[in-house]
Amino acid sequence: MSIAMHAIKMPPAHHFDEMLVSSANSINPQTRDHYREYFQWLNSSPEQTLTQRRAQADLLFRRMGITFTVYGDEGGTERLIPSDVIPRIITSEDWEYLERGLAQRVRAINMFLADIYHDQKILKEKLIPSEQILGNAQFQTKMVGVDVPHDVYVSITGVDIVRNNDGKYYVLEDNLRVPSGVSYMLMNRKMMMRLFPELFLKQSVRPVEHYPALLLQTLRESSLVENPNVVLLTPGRYNSAYFEHTFLAQQMGVELVEGQDLFVKDDFVYMRTTTGPQRVDVMYRRIDDVFLDPWVFRADSALGVPGLFEAYRKGNVVIANAIGTGVADDKSIYPYVPDMIKFYLDEEPILNNVPTYQCRKPDELSYVLANLKELVVKEVHGAGGYGMLVGPAATDAERTHFAELIKQNPGNYIAQPTLALSSCPCFVGAGIAPRHIDLRPFVLTGREIRMVPGGLTRVALKEGSLVVNSSQGGGTKDTWVLGA
Amino acid sequence: MLSRTASHLYWLSRYLERAENMARILDVTQSLAMLDPGADSGGAMTPIVITDTYKEFTATGLPATYPNVVAFLAWDRFHPSSIRNCIEAARENARAVRGSITSEMWENINDTWIAFHEKAKQTDPLMTGNEFFEWVKERSHLFRGVTFATAHRGQPYHFTRLGTFLERADNTARILNVKYAQEAPDDFQEHSDDQADYYRLSAVLRSVSALEAYRDTYRDAIDARRVAEIMIFDARLPRSLRFCMDETTNVLDYLPKDSGRIPRRIASEINARLRYGTVDEVLSYGLKRYIADFLHDMAKLGEAVNASFMTGR
Repeated sequence: MSIAMHAIKMPPAHHFDEMLVSSANSINPQTRDHYREYFQWLNSSPEQTLTQRRAQADLLFRRMGITFTVYGDEGGTERLIPSDVIPRIITSEDWEYLERGLAQRVRAINMFLADIYHDQKILKEKLIPSEQILGNAQFQTKMVGVDVPHDVYVSITGVDIVRNNDGKYYVLEDNLRVPSGVSYMLMNRKMMMRLFPELFLKQSVRPVEHYPALLLQTLRESSLVENPNVVLLTPGRYNSAYFEHTFLAQQMGVELVEGQDLFVKDDFVYMRTTTGPQRVDVMYRRIDDVFLDPWVFRADSALGVPGLFEAYRKGNVVIANAIGTGVADDKSIYPYVPDMIKFYLDEEPILNNVPTYQCRKPDELSYVLANLKELVVKEVHGAGGYGMLVGPAATDAERTHFAELIKQNPGNYIAQPTLALSSCPCFVGAGIAPRHIDLRPFVLTGREIRMVPGGLTRVALKEGSLVVNSSQGGGTKDTWVLGA
Repeated sequence: MLSRTASHLYWLSRYLERAENMARILDVTQSLAMLDPGADSGGAMTPIVITDTYKEFTATGLPATYPNVVAFLAWDRFHPSSIRNCIEAARENARAVRGSITSEMWENINDTWIAFHEKAKQTDPLMTGNEFFEWVKERSHLFRGVTFATAHRGQPYHFTRLGTFLERADNTARILNVKYAQEAPDDFQEHSDDQADYYRLSAVLRSVSALEAYRDTYRDAIDARRVAEIMIFDARLPRSLRFCMDETTNVLDYLPKDSGRIPRRIASEINARLRYGTVDEVLSYGLKRYIADFLHDMAKLGEAVNASFMTGR
């Protein structure tokens, strides 16, 4: 189908766009099959429909206080995450493939964590150099020998997936600590259904609204207690993801607690209630390891609970995700995930890793330094789009500066080829134009692995930008997995 | 229910009620000032005296004019009980427990906060007038209404009610204290033909929305004794001390009985004095002393509520 009504800016010819296929002469672009229904609707709606509904969406988001806090601004300012009104659509075949690949990956990572905190077979087999694990700042020596129920270390995973211009999916990173963003996935859907009901009547979009129910089920299954008391532990309302914490706690019907609401007595965890202390069995924590217990980790942490680790070690409380999972999503460990899959599951990896250069290796370091212009360089412990260099987009001065940083501490950096990142049309100020996107599906591990179809699609709103993080001006859009 | 949640809900409604009361006091002061412009420079300070913020206000170094007093009590960023800071605090408390209140309640208070910031941009503090005060009152009414209409009648609901009535009782007592005890300390007049007095008393009644109730109850001229009576003892007037304490004792009965033993006892004692007292007893004891005792007891009650429900012991 060709484009009629809307002025749609075409993606560059060599890009992979989720919706549009550039034809050879790029004058008469076509939509992909799974976007046909949507495109018909788009062409039959005047442009002001999108403008009006976007304004409505902004109003609703602001009114509902769906905000995140930006650090660095004075006192932390609340901002809206821009939500685009054009959906990202995934075919049921693609999702079926991603789902299999994600389940496999998360299963292997859980086995890896159980292994390195117990027998360390993978190190004994020398598949991963021991010093890479044991010398890693994210490796929690205190967790060695600690058993967690059902060997589930990561109950909630947010896997970042991108699509390169070859049209293939690649895993960019596994977020195994406190992945966030799922509330935006849910709010985007709620908003789209409210603003564009006709679209959901036209074609079958698989639902995501049951995510909180699956999360609660997963958390309840993580405890050996019969009817466990589950709470969500938040650092408090100044945290950037506070909206999400309140939202999930409310949707699950569990208490949203802060460290000050909890105390440990005789190695059991209690919360302070209006009727006195009440036992806590499962903590879905949205606080980093180091803040959990000032007696064991950072002594200056006011966010945690003194004595929590001892209660945890004795199995009297479940902490999800477990302590010490960060070692498996460290960017220096990421290159080994395909090896983990082969080693623990004896299967071929379904999902692709991005080829990764480890600057700690001298030959790879010199390659990286010689090819900075083509590479993306990241700090191994970095997150949120901070501390990275996007080579092609950087200035000479920035590259020179970063090269110095790398040389000073090579072990702290990895580099990857600059993936093009697929684009998807977005409704931006000037009309409809392509923007780069990624995908973060959320994988839940209880007695079985569960996920809702799709995930959070993040958008790099600045034209040409590859950085999708909300802290760096990214936005989101609703993600549709079509019914089979 | 978490102790901290109880505390946030309680303070959420206290701050909102405080914002409303501040608007009421300023509104009435303004209309009195308009009756006799320029004559009564002392009257401008009345809201400062009622809210017990003399030290804070003089620290600003501003002359004690009506516009300055309003700007200070409505908009000042550093005065913790300015309308601005009450709305900020109410919304912050709501944000901390948005999972424990209905989304309608949250959206309402968040809307108030957003709109307040819009108003702050458009308003010259020195020109703040009746329209703004009406808006604050209306937003407070709306929140109570949405709470009444949507909240599940569990503990969270009762803690918001508790905050409302404790704050309101405190405020009504302070208005009484200043309008009578301090402005006319020695020659308390039961009947007065003084026209200024008539306006003063009807303003007091209006500040607690009691003018209609007064007419309905007494069908007679406004006199000081009856104004004191209706504001202290009328069980049907939502802002009277009696009404607030009836509600407070009711609400406390819905809260956990074991942890609530001491606040329930204190509230019942205060309530008993209101149920079985008369205005003549109050006037012969001395209104000023009576109110001072009441405020003291209320402070004790506030402390007991905090210690019993909000510390988790």
